[in-house]
Amino acid sequence: MMEEVTFECDLIHSILKRFWTLRALERENFEANDAPDSELGVGTSKKNRTTSANGNALKLTCELLRVFITEAVQRAAAIAEAEGASQIEPTHLEIILPQLLLDF
Amino acid sequence: MESADANSEVENDAEMKLLRDKFRLSAISITESQAKQNGMEVSKVVVTCIADLAFKYTERVAKDLHLFAQHANRKSVNMEDVILCGHRNEHLSGLLRTVSNDLKARDPQSERKRKKETKKNEK
Repeated sequence: MMEEVTFECDLIHSILKRFWTLRALERENFEANDAPDSELGVGTSKKNRTTSANGNALKLTCELLRVFITEAVQRAAAIAEAEGASQIEPTHLEIILPQLLLDF
Repeated sequence: MESADANSEVENDAEMKLLRDKFRLSAISITESQAKQNGMEVSKVVVTCIADLAFKYTERVAKDLHLFAQHANRKSVNMEDVILCGHRNEHLSGLLRTVSNDLKARDPQSERKRKKETKKNEK
């Protein structure tokens, strides 16, 4: 029986929340300097309410991140295997990196 | 590596550093497990590189999810937003949709709420 190693939802949730909070703060600072207009102020504060995610979206995000890693390893492993190597080396990763980044 | 100004707050945040280290541990675990499944050893450099890359990818996903939800005039990210993150690759979006259907099937209570939203999102 194969155990599937994956990311913990709570960890990913904390990370996403932190990114969203930091970006919201950045936007607040940027817009405070840029827009003294009160009308704009109301609009931006609406946009600055911190984002949240529902439970299923979090689970799906964990899966997305797991797949990202899985694809990186699988593609690099295929290159290594084709070369007759027994270990995945940086050169193997380098070869698959452009397409990986285009696909994700 | 030099980081752009926009990233400096993220890079300097103490809480984020802690979260990133935990993330890296998980990412390393997944990487090593996958290498095993593929019958390969994996060099330490590659493991570290993939873990770093995955974290940077997570930041991009966070940004995209926020933008997609905002574009749909929502404050809360849902599964459709996550599926959109996979739009660059058909296999990936197909996979995400399959997993999301499984999750929906397991959770019939949220299905009612979701029906309203899918009707809005369908073109």
